[in-house]
Amino acid sequence: MNITRRLFVTGSTIALATPALLRHGLAQSGPIKIGSLTPLTGGGAPYGPEKAKAHRAVVDLVNANGGVLGRKIEVIAEDSQTNPEAAVRAARKMIDADQVSAIIGTWASSETIGIMPLCQDANVVQLFSGSSDNLPDGDKKRLCFNLQPLNKAWCVALADLAAKRGYLKVGFAGPKNDFAASMGASFGKSLQAVGGQIVGEPLYYNPTQVSYRAEAEKLIASKAPALFLAGYVTDFTALYRELVRGGYTGKVFALSFAVGPDFKKAVGSAAEGILHGSPVPPVGKDSYDAYLRLVGVKPNGQIQFPYGCAAYDEINLLLLGMASAKSTEARALSDNIMKVANGPGERVTTFAEGAKLLAEGKSINYDGASSSADFLPNGMLKSRDFALYEIKGGEDVSILTTTSTAE
Amino acid sequence: MDSYLVAILTVAGIYLILALALNLQFGLTGLINFGVVGFYGLGAYASGIATETFHAPFLAGLLAALIIGAIAGALVALLSLRLSGDFLAIVTLGFAETIRLVFNNEDWLTHGPSGFIIVTRPVIAGLSRTATSWMVLGVILLAALLVLLLMMRLADTPYGRVLRAVREDDLVPATLGKNIFMYRLQAFVLGSAIMAGTGSLYAHYVQTITPDNFTTPVAILVWMSVIVGGAGNMKGTVLGALAVVFIYEGTRFIGPWLTMLDAEQISALRFIIIGVALILMIRFRPEGLLPEAYQRPAEAASRITPSKG
Repeated sequence: MNITRRLFVTGSTIALATPALLRHGLAQSGPIKIGSLTPLTGGGAPYGPEKAKAHRAVVDLVNANGGVLGRKIEVIAEDSQTNPEAAVRAARKMIDADQVSAIIGTWASSETIGIMPLCQDANVVQLFSGSSDNLPDGDKKRLCFNLQPLNKAWCVALADLAAKRGYLKVGFAGPKNDFAASMGASFGKSLQAVGGQIVGEPLYYNPTQVSYRAEAEKLIASKAPALFLAGYVTDFTALYRELVRGGYTGKVFALSFAVGPDFKKAVGSAAEGILHGSPVPPVGKDSYDAYLRLVGVKPNGQIQFPYGCAAYDEINLLLLGMASAKSTEARALSDNIMKVANGPGERVTTFAEGAKLLAEGKSINYDGASSSADFLPNGMLKSRDFALYEIKGGEDVSILTTTSTAE
Repeated sequence: MDSYLVAILTVAGIYLILALALNLQFGLTGLINFGVVGFYGLGAYASGIATETFHAPFLAGLLAALIIGAIAGALVALLSLRLSGDFLAIVTLGFAETIRLVFNNEDWLTHGPSGFIIVTRPVIAGLSRTATSWMVLGVILLAALLVLLLMMRLADTPYGRVLRAVREDDLVPATLGKNIFMYRLQAFVLGSAIMAGTGSLYAHYVQTITPDNFTTPVAILVWMSVIVGGAGNMKGTVLGALAVVFIYEGTRFIGPWLTMLDAEQISALRFIIIGVALILMIRFRPEGLLPEAYQRPAEAASRITPSKG
């Protein structure tokens, strides 16, 4: 019994002390610490790594040229697991143990919203890419910047296309998550604005289902001449298969990330005629090419790393904000990020250009790799390129690229 | 001590209470409950709805969670307890998934996937950030201590002995006239109520809950705590929960020493380390860090009939 108790006490003491010891071992006053919290596993795993790499690449470059405010930048990288619970634990470690000045890179709206109370509480700036219309709600202190347009903006472009093609009655279905749930409502509104309407109720399904037979039958029974299916690759592919099997002959609208090469391979010629769209980086623009070259990829006129380019803007804006604020304190930092992003000032596309001008006392306007990186007063993106495509002969044929503007 | 440690201890306290409740169900009584997160989530939402939608104080929320947890536990148990082991495992797993889908789809009640925001805190409002986090930790550790004392007491009583007998071979206590079903039901309901109560504490600690907070991986951590600690031994569960949370969190700190790996590889490495630790544990010490004390019949008998005078 004695041994057990001793073992118990010793064991718990060591376990309790470990983080504190580690923290002391790692504590440094010199470098500026930045949290890179990206979805490296889970639903965001296809996009998290490119975001983490973009953060890393910019910081390595900046450090090689002397850092920011004469200090080195240290990136604390963590995996959000595309899960708010894991993201919160990682964010706590970043905020409390590493004392980061900003957390950048969150992808799913649920993780961004999940860590927002912590960041607000501890005065930590957030830069992220997300589309849920709920994102601005929790940002009471105005410390958030979003590099992705909200759902509202996506829906305007898609509803316009539907109306142009003569589809004024469109059915809606999507997975029941934060992203698609607010998309249904937004799409309904956008469609009404162009004189159309949603057929029946928006249909939400559980995205991890094995079969979508019931959903497909319900959609077919609604007799909608067109359907907007706001799913991701896995659920969209399964649902689309069931629709085709069930004999649906109407038009299908989708989001570009759902109908990539995997989808086309899975359904073959059945993909013909699908209309899809999504926010895109400005292909061919100097800032986008500069990003691609930095991460070691040749610009080829195609969309590559659709989220990595947003991450490149996240880290550049953050570092330029610090250089402009001459501080890492949250309020000054946030105000200065807004200043360097929106201008007015000389156009810059990299940290090096911007830092040089700022040192000369000039004002700058950062032009990004994912968009022109201009924000509304609530930190949400003002506008971003939005491309619409039609699948013809197994290829995406571009219909048009518009600049979608937020309300 | 810094605030990170406070945060991690708070999380460890929450896992500890869940693990103790599971140890009552699985360790003592042999009931396989894979639906830990179902009861945990139910308590979190019940408490959140009570305090936010109906503006009840925190304690009322906690009470609501305990009651709802007990009712849900009783229903699940009545549905499936007569069926033994594996069936209960499947039913509880299904229960947890069903509950999560309800949270996700009943927007009017739970705000669905966008998350339920909880303002009520289990401590006095208006304190500084550090003071609040210490007080929340205090509340959770106090709850953990109470549950631990309750469980240790329970395990030592004749009642606990019957539970162990039910686990080992339910025919024996049945032959002695014990109502096996009632014992199983009571253990399951008590465990479920405690899990729901923990959900309440968790909800008021994190302040935003979404259905994604209550997925099966959380239940796996709780199961790991019980198995690593030693099923049936309450002190072992304490050690197990602490060990699991500290391995889980501690592996975050390996990153800075492995500069040749990128973020993705370090993330994968963390899970490899956790998995290997668990496999080694099961391979070389399947009975857990602190195994359940083996009571020889004679020794046990002399304790049952203490010599007076």
